[in-house]
Parts: sequence; structure tokens; C-alpha cells
Amino acid sequence: MTSSVNAQDALLAMLPEHFLLGGIVLVIIMAVLGRGSRSALWVALGAVIASSAAAFWLSNLPYAAAPFDGQFSVTPAILMAKGALLALAVPVLLMSRTEFTDGEFSILLLSSLYGLCLLPSADSFLVMFLGLELLAMPVYALVLLAFRRPQSAESAFKYLVLSGAASATFLMGVSLLYGATGSMSVDVFGAALASSDIMTRTAVVLLLLSLFLKAAVVPFHAWAPDTYEGASIPVTAYMATLTKGAVLLAAVRLFAGANVSGPLVDLLLVLPLVSIVWGNLAAIKQQSFRRMIAYSSIAHAGYLFYGFLGDAEGRMQAVLFYVLAYSVVNLLAFAVMPQNTDDEQRDSLDALKGLYHRNPFAAAMIAIAMLSLAGLPPFPGFAAKFLIFKNVVAAGYTTYAVLGLVGSYLGIYFYLRVIQVLFMTAGEAAPSEQRAGGMARAAGALCLVGTLVLAVLPGWALGRM
Amino acid sequence: MSEFTSEFTMGPMLLNLVLWLPIVGVSLVLLAARANDGLSRLIAAGVMTVQFALMTVLYLQFDATAAGLQFATQLPWIAQWGVSYLIGLDGFNILLVLLTAFLGPIVVLGAWTSIKKDVPLFHVMVLLLQFAMMGAFVAQDLFLFYLFWEAMLIPMFLIIGMWGGARRVYATLKFVLYTAFGSILMLAAVIYLVQSMQQTSGVLSFAFADLYQTQLPLSVQTILLGAFALSFAIKVPMVPLHTWLPDAHVEAPTAGSVILAGVLLKMGTYGFMKLGFPLFPDAARAFTPLLTTLAVISIVYGACLALVQTDIKKIIAYSSISHLGYVMLGLLSLELVGIQGAIIQMVSHGLVAAGLFLLVGMIYDRCHTRELAAYGGLARLLPVYSVFFMIFTLASVGLPTTSGFTGEFLALMGAFTAAWPAHLDGNNLPLVLASVAVTGVVLGAMYMLRFALTFLFGAVKAPHHSPEHPLLDLSLREKSILGLLTIAVFALGLFPDGALQKTELAAKSYQSLVTTSRTPAGSAGVTP
Repeated sequence: MTSSVNAQDALLAMLPEHFLLGGIVLVIIMAVLGRGSRSALWVALGAVIASSAAAFWLSNLPYAAAPFDGQFSVTPAILMAKGALLALAVPVLLMSRTEFTDGEFSILLLSSLYGLCLLPSADSFLVMFLGLELLAMPVYALVLLAFRRPQSAESAFKYLVLSGAASATFLMGVSLLYGATGSMSVDVFGAALASSDIMTRTAVVLLLLSLFLKAAVVPFHAWAPDTYEGASIPVTAYMATLTKGAVLLAAVRLFAGANVSGPLVDLLLVLPLVSIVWGNLAAIKQQSFRRMIAYSSIAHAGYLFYGFLGDAEGRMQAVLFYVLAYSVVNLLAFAVMPQNTDDEQRDSLDALKGLYHRNPFAAAMIAIAMLSLAGLPPFPGFAAKFLIFKNVVAAGYTTYAVLGLVGSYLGIYFYLRVIQVLFMTAGEAAPSEQRAGGMARAAGALCLVGTLVLAVLPGWALGRM
Repeated sequence: MSEFTSEFTMGPMLLNLVLWLPIVGVSLVLLAARANDGLSRLIAAGVMTVQFALMTVLYLQFDATAAGLQFATQLPWIAQWGVSYLIGLDGFNILLVLLTAFLGPIVVLGAWTSIKKDVPLFHVMVLLLQFAMMGAFVAQDLFLFYLFWEAMLIPMFLIIGMWGGARRVYATLKFVLYTAFGSILMLAAVIYLVQSMQQTSGVLSFAFADLYQTQLPLSVQTILLGAFALSFAIKVPMVPLHTWLPDAHVEAPTAGSVILAGVLLKMGTYGFMKLGFPLFPDAARAFTPLLTTLAVISIVYGACLALVQTDIKKIIAYSSISHLGYVMLGLLSLELVGIQGAIIQMVSHGLVAAGLFLLVGMIYDRCHTRELAAYGGLARLLPVYSVFFMIFTLASVGLPTTSGFTGEFLALMGAFTAAWPAHLDGNNLPLVLASVAVTGVVLGAMYMLRFALTFLFGAVKAPHHSPEHPLLDLSLREKSILGLLTIAVFALGLFPDGALQKTELAAKSYQSLVTTSRTPAGSAGVTP
């Protein structure tokens, strides 16, 4: 394997990453100089926007390169995915304004985003592992930042242990695969899927399990509700949307070109289905919005992994569209959530009672988010679900498509219950409730625009992926 | 575009305008929401009236002698999936679209004084619902149809849930969960249908016209029809999938009941007529005996239940189940006269049920109870009200000269001469079913006359009525909306020819679609 690094490609292909790195360095320098921590947020915003714009620009060129042979490569599709996920980080940053006043949030988020960018580009397991760790480690600290709340330490610890377990499983899988094939390239995974060699098969199972752990697929989901509940809202929003999306993109990269077949299909068929059903059922009795979103995200992880049943060809598109449609409405709901000095009260369903009468705009936005998550048309969640299940049917798994759809039906009830709480109950505002801050509202507006674009012009969005 | 006949060049633009006007109305109401409640009522009523006026123009321009779509628009939308924005009028939907447009202003006017809280939001929801219903009728692309079909749920969910009665949350959740269950299975069927069409013929399209060409083996047709039929039958509603309807009606505000009975219930029968049966004709014919039996059960069972209700809204709710049974009966007969009767009956029921629910809402606003036993002798207290009440009661019973007669008569005529599947020739079943269906007419007369007798005659009884504060008879607003409905009921009853002509070609095309076998050659060849 010849390793040649083309300097110009290295500069251009990693332009999004470079902008993030620049942002991190700048924020650190400013922190060292003791310059106002408020500007850290603006620097981070600038870095994320520049990085996202760079990714979109490159993808439209269209640009493809492999600056580090066998380690890191970009294609227009990968750049588009990166750009889209990075754009989703903008509302997260805007939301954070109300929760965090110091620069640490910006640094940690930028670092995590750097890891996120590595994942879809990883050509070797080494880079992928680096990406996964870089994605997760700043999040431990981010969860812990909600230190006013007693659960935050527990949440962070749970996430740490889970992530450690996932990493160990991943590494074990990689080493077995290396032992069997003598290659660290992620391309061997596709071939290994159909292999009947016991060591290879174990490796594949371990790798799959580590992805399931990270994406909170049943039965590896138990950490998600606790962790989501303990974190502050911007962090929960980040974990529920971007980190999940990043893991799925890593999975797309792993499965690249491989049509799922062979004995491991069952694993990929059954666990996501169980996830859909269990996530939706367990969400019904939750009293905290964040826990509900956690269970809902478990169900959505199920739909996302359904995307792998279809042909390899449209997989990136289906998964990316789903991640976008799912994330943008989740962020919308979190962004418009009214402020409350007690973060725990902020999103309990009791506190949201009758919100429509106090803040019609916020209630309407949360309702749109819930309907989209439920997969009801005309919201983007429907088109996303349609695309996934269309691919599943096209691949010949009709029964599983029907089961998955019926599973998704189970979820409608609790999404509607949120709307019922918002619109059909009388409730009094908690004394400390305020409207969402200006920047959070800007985040909401951005997400609303994104939601509308995906709802009205799904064809246009798909054509670009 | 050559396949669409349109002499009237403004037509397509006008139809788009008719469809999208409610959205314009929604924006205006949202802009005016802060001003005052009256303004949002005015905007909604104004928009709906303009919509109806434009639709009337289209109706008059509609060429009854031309088959196929008229005033059609086709724009690519999600090109990758073969989805297009394809709308148009044909003999299937023209009367229903006209009905929807006609009931729009009536709903807003009917809710003028009874909706007092969150008035702008109410009108936003009514306008959205109008948009979705209109869209479902004019859509000629299955994806678009499904979109509108599902989108109807959300405003209705809020209308019942926010402005309904005491048990509104239970009723509205039941309504949504019932209908959404049907829709989910239909979605699976839609995906499968389009997928298999692409695989067999290489055509990727959701247009109804293309889907009508799909060849499917009988077994597949059966499963897909099952999924579609479940969804439509819940909406109709056919016994035994009807239990959400009385709850939804009883808890819904008057406007909600009017929309539900007036238009929403027709979605189910329209779905059978436009999609379910023509898409899967062989399965449809195989299931004719079962579906006809269910339709007859709905007629008789709905009527029997209406007979014993003590809540006046429930009487009309159950009578709806019975009346829509005739629609199914007519459609299943596959006789031209029956099919046309079914279409007329849909419109007629829309008008009559809307009138009855409005009347019930008006008395409820005055007396605050829906117990039949609480009332009596209203004829002496409210003479104008009682005249309208009698008119709609008689129309519901099917008195000749009213629309109810035309619809039921033609549908039953179709049932007696029905073209049943060959293996049932010489069997008594068709005749028995048709005869049982006729008893529904008698039962209908019984429960409606019992209702009218208790309500209007006998000893004077009315809550909140006293000699010092007598109940007020109908206001000018109430008289005008009921007057409009009355005119429509008689117009359809006395001069059904115009309406029948506009639907004739559609009825013929339905007949030929459902009677032409579409199982692929060589696949077991099971033709029922």
C-alpha cells in the first residue's frame, strides 16, 4: 500500500475539518487571553457555518479526493452529508446560549463535530475509531455541564460506561476482522457480511453491536433515557440528533456497496423491529419530554437501520434524508421549549400543559415536530419514512416493511398525547417560565425553514444528496 | 397534456385556485389573529364563499360529454419517485368537490356564534381541513391523495379535541387512532403496488391512470384490496369498524359534525369508487358477496341502533352509518343505475346530514342538552325551526322530490339488478340481500319519525324555556344557511338529471374498470 499525501487535496478535502479546528484553536486562545466568553459562541458559530458552507461548496463542485490513501476520502455524497449535519449544529449552538455562558460548550461541541466529520470519510477502521471517540468524549463533559442538576453526573457516567463498552466491542470486532483478513480497510466489512467463517462472523456481529449500542437500538438502549434526561436541553438535542446521525453515517460507510444478505440479515431485521415496537411502547408512559424523546429516538434508530435492508445504492440518500428530517424537527421542538430556571421543569409534560394558551407559536412548533416524528404527512417525517420503507419493499422484505409500519403506528399515540397536552388542557405557567430566548427562537426559525423545505421540496433535497 | 380535454383554458388555473384558496385564507387569518375574532370569521366565510363561487363556474363549464380529466394540472414534484402534482376534475369527484365547496361557507356561518374560544385557530383548522378534503378529492396521483387523506386527520383531531364536549379527548384520540391504523396498512399497500408496477411494466408513476393498468395476480390483489378496503371502510364507516363515529360525532362541535358527516365520511366511499375497486377489480368482484353483506348489515344495524338512541346527535350519527350503506350497495351492484345512485346518495347524505347536525347544534346552543327526552312540542315554540326540521327529516327518510329519494331509489334499483359474480348465478343471495336492504328504508322512516314526533309534537318541553324568557326562533343567519341547504336538497331531488349527466361517463368507466379482469395472463387464471 503506497501512502502518498497530496498537499492540495489534503487542504481542500479536509476544508470543513480545518474550519472546525481553526474555531477550536481560536476559542482556546480567547479563553487563555481571558477575552469575553460570549464571543466564543460567535466564533463557534462562524466556524460551523464556514465548515458547513465549505462542505456544500465542495460537494457541488463536485469534488472527490482521497488525500490520505486508505485512510480518509471524500465524495460529493459524503461532503453533502457532512455539510447537512454541520448545518444542523447551528441551531444547537444557538440554543446553547441560554444554558451555557462560558466558552466550554463551544470548544466541546466543535471537537465533537470534528469527530463527526471523520466518520463518513473513514476508509480505515483506525480513522473510524478515532472519529467515534472524538465524537463521544466531548459529550461526556457536555452532559456533565448541567451540573446544577443532580442527575447530570449519573447521566454522564452512564454515557461514559456505555461508550467505553461500545468502543471495546468495536475494537474487539476490528481486531478479529484484522486477524481474519489482514486488512484495516473498512471495505472488508462488506465482504465479511456474507462470510461463513466463524471468526469473521463474530467480528461482524461485534461491530454491529457496537453500532447498535451507540445508536441505542434495543436491547442496548437502556442508557439513552437516563442520559438524555440528565443532560441539559441543548446537549440532549445534540445527542438525540447529530451523534445518532453520525453513527448511522458511519454505518453507511461500513456497509458501503454491500447488499445485506446471508445469515446476519436476521440480526439486522429483528433488532431494529424490536426497537421500533419497544421504543414506541415505552415512550407512552413517560412524563418527561426528554425521556419521551429518548424512547422515540430508540424507535427512530430502528427505522434508520431498516434503511440498510434496501439496496446499497440508495442507502446513503435514504439514511441521510431520514436523519435530516428527524433531526430538524427534534431541534425545532427543543429550540422553542419555554425557558425555565429549573431545567428539569422545563420540559416535563405537566409544565407544557396548555402551552398553546400562553405561547401559541411554541405550541404550534412543538406540534409540528411531533406530527413529523409520528410520520404523518405532509411533514418531512412522512417522506423520510416513505423512502425507507419503499427501499425495504423494493429489496423484497415486504413482511418486515408491514411490521415496521405497524410498529410506527404504535408511536402515533404518544406524539398525539403531547399535542393534546399542549392544546387541549388548561394549565398554568410555572412561575419561572419565560419565552425562549431570542437566539433560541432564531434556532427555531431556522429549523422551521428546514422543515418546510424538506416538506415542500423533498424531491429537490433528494436530488442533491 | 393532450390526454386532458379542456376547452376552458382558464380551467386548470381556476381549479388550482379553488384548491389553494383555503391556504390563502389561513395566512390571512393568521395575520388578522391579533386583531379580533370577528375578522377571522369574516375572512374564513369570505374565502369559502369565493371558493364555492369559483367551483360553481367550474361545475358549469364541466363538459359532461367528455371522458377523462378536465381542468387538469400536472407538474413533476418528487421526480425520483414518480410523484407528480396531478389534479383534475372528472365525473367521479365533481359533485363531491362541489359539495365540499358548498358546505364550506355553511360550516363557518353555522359556527358563527357557537365557537367562542380560540376563534382564529378554529378557522385556521376549518380552512386546513377544507384544503385537505378538497385535495383528496381532486388528487389524481396516489401519493398526493395519500398525503391529503392523512392530512385531514390533524385539523379534525384539533377541532374535536379543542372545541368538543366533555369526553372530547377520548373521542378524538379514538377517531385518529382508528383512521390512522387503516392508513398505515394502506401506505404499505401503496408502496407495494407502485413497486410491483415498476418491476413488471417498468413504469414508475403514482398517477391513477397508470395504476389502473397494473396487472396483478388475484392473491396479491386480494391482500392489497384488503389494506385499502380496511382504510376506506373505517372512514365510511362500515359495521364493524364504525364504533369511532358516534363518539366523534357526539363530542365534536357542530361544525365538526357537519364536516364529518357532510364530507369526511364520503372519503371512504369515494376511495372505494376511485381506488379500491378499480385498482383491484378481480379481488373486488371476488369480495362482492362479503362487502355487500357488510353494507346491508350496516344499513340495518345502523338503523336499528338509531332507533334506540336517547342522544339526538347519536340518532343522526347512526343514521349516517345506515345511509352510507346504500352508497356501498350501489357501488357494489356494478349496475350503471346503482353506481349513479351511489354518487347521488353521497351528495344527498352530505346535504341532509349537514342540515340535521346544524339543526341539532342550533337547539343545543339554546337548551344545552342533547337528551331526546328533555324535548317536546318544539313546533309550537319554534315554528320556523320545526319546518326546517321536518324538511330534513323527510329528506333523510327519502321522501320523493328530495335528494334522499333519488339516491336511495337508484342505489336499491342497482342492488336488485346487480351483476353478481358468475358463481352466484341462480343463487338467492343477491335478491335476499337487496330485500333486506329495503327494510332499512322502513326502519329509517321509523327512527326519523319517532325523533320528529317526540321532538316537535306533544307536550311542550324544552330546557331553559320559560314564558318570561321564551326560546328564540331561528335568526336570519340560521335561516339562510338552512335555506341554502334546503334549496340544494330539493334541487337534487327534483332535477337530478344535470348531476346524473355529469357523472354518467365516470360511472361507465368505473363499471368497465371493475368488470375487466386484470390478472396477468398465465398466472393461474382464477377469474371469479
